[in-house]
Amino acid sequence: MPSSRDDFIIAIRSAFLKKSTQQKFSLLTLVFLSIFTIILSSFDFKFIRYLKAGISEAVYRSSFIVSIPENFLKNTFFEIKEYSSFFQNYKINKEELNELKSKNISDQITQYENKELKELINNYTLSSDKLLAKIIVDHDSPYLKSIIINKGSKDNIKIGTNIYDRSYLVGRVVEVNYKTSRVLLLSDLNSNVPVTIAPQNIQAIITGTGKNYGEIKYIKEGNANLILEDSIVYTSGTGAIFKSGIPIGRVDVADTVSSKKFKVDFYSDFNQLKYVFAELITKAEIINEDQQFETDNSQINNTVDTKLQILENEKKIIEQTNLKFKDENELLKITINNLNKQIADFRNEVYDQKQIIAQYNIDLDEIEFLRLNLKFGHTCRKSFLNNGGYEVGTMEYKNCVMNKGQIND
Amino acid sequence: MTNFKSKGFYFKFYSFLPIIALFISVLNEFDLNYLELKYFSFNFPFILIFFFTLKDFKNFDYLLVFLAGLINDTVVGLPLGISSLSYILICIATSYLRNITIRPNPIKDWFYFLFIISLINSMNYSILTLFFSYDLLLLSYLVNIFFTFILYMFFAYLFKYYLKGLND
Repeated sequence: MPSSRDDFIIAIRSAFLKKSTQQKFSLLTLVFLSIFTIILSSFDFKFIRYLKAGISEAVYRSSFIVSIPENFLKNTFFEIKEYSSFFQNYKINKEELNELKSKNISDQITQYENKELKELINNYTLSSDKLLAKIIVDHDSPYLKSIIINKGSKDNIKIGTNIYDRSYLVGRVVEVNYKTSRVLLLSDLNSNVPVTIAPQNIQAIITGTGKNYGEIKYIKEGNANLILEDSIVYTSGTGAIFKSGIPIGRVDVADTVSSKKFKVDFYSDFNQLKYVFAELITKAEIINEDQQFETDNSQINNTVDTKLQILENEKKIIEQTNLKFKDENELLKITINNLNKQIADFRNEVYDQKQIIAQYNIDLDEIEFLRLNLKFGHTCRKSFLNNGGYEVGTMEYKNCVMNKGQIND
Repeated sequence: MTNFKSKGFYFKFYSFLPIIALFISVLNEFDLNYLELKYFSFNFPFILIFFFTLKDFKNFDYLLVFLAGLINDTVVGLPLGISSLSYILICIATSYLRNITIRPNPIKDWFYFLFIISLINSMNYSILTLFFSYDLLLLSYLVNIFFTFILYMFFAYLFKYYLKGLND
């Protein structure tokens, strides 16, 4: 027994300490060096930060060069895949484009209004420039979902800078080097984004799942039932980490045995990103001479603001009421026109009926005259034997017939 | 083969191929993830390091393995030194196995490899979650271990051919 323990100790010692002919360092030294590096990397010293940034710069560039063949293969693979469904996609896109074009104008107006209102609320203007950045490393690690972009502190990128794919949110910068930065994708397990779910207006937090979709978590109890399939998810801006109103994806409700699960299908496909936009935000206070004066009299200012706010609200209400009245007026005008038209129709109808009745009455008199004429015509007609009669066709003759042969003196 | 050896540069390049492959794999994160095969991932550097340190391959310098670990951490975005420690621990494990083995057996090596990568990944997971507060999927680790273990035999077979070519 002691000899086997000795063997074990010898084997272990040999494994740790013995250097082979080609090795410059023993494994024990390298273990200590690794542990030392881990400890050092957990501290945020300036020197270590610069060292890490330097290593990252070199490694990211090398990684980009080394990845060229694999990226070529990858792109070829995606291109072939894309071509196979090209026509189908074209038709869908065409339809979508037509829909979007019509929506675009009203969206732009809303955006301008939103911007103005935000500026009023925050008392500062946010001017944002979107900087195009190329993705140099996008290795999809099974544990961490991140990408490396070719813009760094040199281009004013900061930790927390929002990254977009077109107008969709992709993630935020978590590490900045001189000419490169690491972006933590929304799909990463460590990503948490405060969001609003529309149209229900529910506040929640999206967390990454490590897969190509996110999951809605931390919803107020009772609100879960309100969330519907295909609801739109966009950033709420809570916590000031992400700007508000950036679209993220759509809700996909998955029913499990125990409870409902709310997945979020991101608008952007993180596997196929080539270029992204980094949003550089510059903040400028809205201060002019008048406002400078107003800041000294903040109380008055507040009162004036409140009054203005109330007046604005009143104005809005009046405008809305006016619009409503206008609409109602239009509606009434149309109804009156319709009714007038109906009256005219009815009048025409009555006139026609009267005509028919008058004709009928005339006809009736004629028939009566003819009937009586047959009966009393000979008494009223002037003849050799009847000198007191009348000429046929005269009014007197007709009156005589109608009076049943009685001749008026 | 004398002809091959006389071509100095090619022979050197051939003999340094494993270490070049190690650096390319850590820089490139050769993972085939773009194929979108669900749950598929494997750790090629683990296989490479385990095999060549077990064979005590002379051009497989531990310092270079350590550096490869640092590069891997930078590319993946892990705290510096984690992968280096993992790689060096594999080197220690293989060195120990070499010392206690009289008659090598590929199957025994294979299961020893499974034990070692499980141990190292557990250690990795623990360090990252406990000390660095990372949120990690345990399932991804398990799947990674499984596929790394499965693919070890395939790559070992290829590497044996490589070594045969070098020794001829």
